[in-house]
Amino acid sequence: MAIAPPLAIGQELPPLEKELTQRHIDAYSGVRVRSIHTDEAWARRKGFRTTLAQGMMSTAYVSEMMTALLGAGFVKGGSMSVAFVQPVYAGDRLTVRGVVKELRAEAGHTRVVVDVWCENQHGHKTAVGTASGLAP
Amino acid sequence: MTPFTPLTYDALTIGEEFVSDTLLVTPEDVETYAFAVDDHHPWFSGASPFGGALAHPTFAGNQALRLRHSRYVVHAGLHAKMQFEFLEPIRVGMRVRSRGRVIDKYVRRGKQYMVTEFVTEDDKGTPLVRGQFTQMLIPA
Repeated sequence: MAIAPPLAIGQELPPLEKELTQRHIDAYSGVRVRSIHTDEAWARRKGFRTTLAQGMMSTAYVSEMMTALLGAGFVKGGSMSVAFVQPVYAGDRLTVRGVVKELRAEAGHTRVVVDVWCENQHGHKTAVGTASGLAP
Repeated sequence: MTPFTPLTYDALTIGEEFVSDTLLVTPEDVETYAFAVDDHHPWFSGASPFGGALAHPTFAGNQALRLRHSRYVVHAGLHAKMQFEFLEPIRVGMRVRSRGRVIDKYVRRGKQYMVTEFVTEDDKGTPLVRGQFTQMLIPA
């Protein structure tokens, strides 16, 4: 299930494309009244143009990309640190990207550190950070 | 009885602790999460290298993120930062619980933030996921 090594610093990972519908957000957050994620009127009242995806949905996308890269070495032994820098709205389309930043020895394995980010359909970054896991 | 109060910056105390309810990880929950994030990895519904079906690694993130809802009425908030360490896979059929502690609160550029560290454990107390998140408070 994982991309075969060898990996190289600077290597770009295959990007993921994600369409965020309100139905996805509802399934993720649970539909509640007075929620900026699932109550459009409430989101507008709080100053947003429509409902927002939960930032953590982007961490799930990064996780998918890292599991595709490293398989079990991300599920057990993986890590992630992400900042959410722009809101993601219902109806947005995200591209999830990663570039290998570092390869380092760790307890008989190689830890693969990846710069990760999400961009919306306007090319604006919405989440940035790093993720890592153990190469198979 | 839990005496819920509105979440405000002033009400928060650094060091205060939260505990979630216990969640049984069902196949339906795992499938719903997979739909929500549009990730239908075969390990979520069948065999995996860990012996059986798994939940998505970030599956329990919302349990941790909602820890403050166990005591406070949360008006609105924005998630600013998230850190995860995936220590052990979350398996279908596990009962998981998250515990958290407020480790910081601060004001930056006029915005109020709280920082919480958390661990999600199975029913034997084995840590599955550790992490830390920063949430911006949106005033009422």
